[in-house]
Amino acid sequence: MHPQLEILLQIQDLKAQRSDLVEVEGERRVEQEEFQINVDEAVERLDQKIAELEDELDPPVRSRYRRLTAGQGRAVVPVINGICYGCFVSIPTALAGDLRRHDEIRHCDHCGRFIYVMS
Amino acid sequence: MELREFFNREVVDLDLAAETKDEVLKELVSLLGLDEKSEGILFKMLKRRENLGSTGIGRGIAIPHCRSLVVNRLRVAFGRIPKGIDFDAIDGEPVHYFFLIVAPPLEVSNQYLPVLGKIAQFAKEPDVPERLRTLETPEDFLRLLEEKAI
Repeated sequence: MHPQLEILLQIQDLKAQRSDLVEVEGERRVEQEEFQINVDEAVERLDQKIAELEDELDPPVRSRYRRLTAGQGRAVVPVINGICYGCFVSIPTALAGDLRRHDEIRHCDHCGRFIYVMS
Repeated sequence: MELREFFNREVVDLDLAAETKDEVLKELVSLLGLDEKSEGILFKMLKRRENLGSTGIGRGIAIPHCRSLVVNRLRVAFGRIPKGIDFDAIDGEPVHYFFLIVAPPLEVSNQYLPVLGKIAQFAKEPDVPERLRTLETPEDFLRLLEEKAI
């Protein structure tokens, strides 16, 4: 997997974790009651880590990532059975082949999101 | 929906060799059969979740969990370390029993939270720690889940 894509996946996972804590009442309650998490502190730490990882992105990747997250929310999506799971449009066969090589960071021609193949 | 539906014998290991928190997380992740890169990312995510506060809920039980893009559906695993390890559990006691739960951020079936809650409920059953201690085979674990019908 391309190192920049690996960072993007980590950022999106951390954002999902943050969003669950802030927006999903059930999840917040489980984390507080079962695991005794201080949600405010946890969110602060997640924000710090997200910012650190964003700094590790190469400038062109960071720029595209910021544009995508500002407009469409999710910047990185899987390709499953040849379908981009951001816009649900088929990706060209040649691009699907390129994705498996993991030598470059790729994006969907239709929605522009970063894409990766699920193993 | 009952917990038994999510487990099979391939994701149950009653004799983990781990001696540290990192090692047990890695061993649990390896039960899911992901590729090496995905395992690495998942390990980092679980570790970051542990850094927010231990998932050791006491009575020798921990429930490491997180959401991650490296899985395309809810995945679970169970591992046991007979001698126990320090996992910074809430009660300060060693942890012997580990339930791993991982789900993608956008999960169509929305099972992550209910399964997390059911495992926490299972862990609170009075006889569960002793029953987990005396398991001899993965099938025994699956039968215990069936019996509890949570």
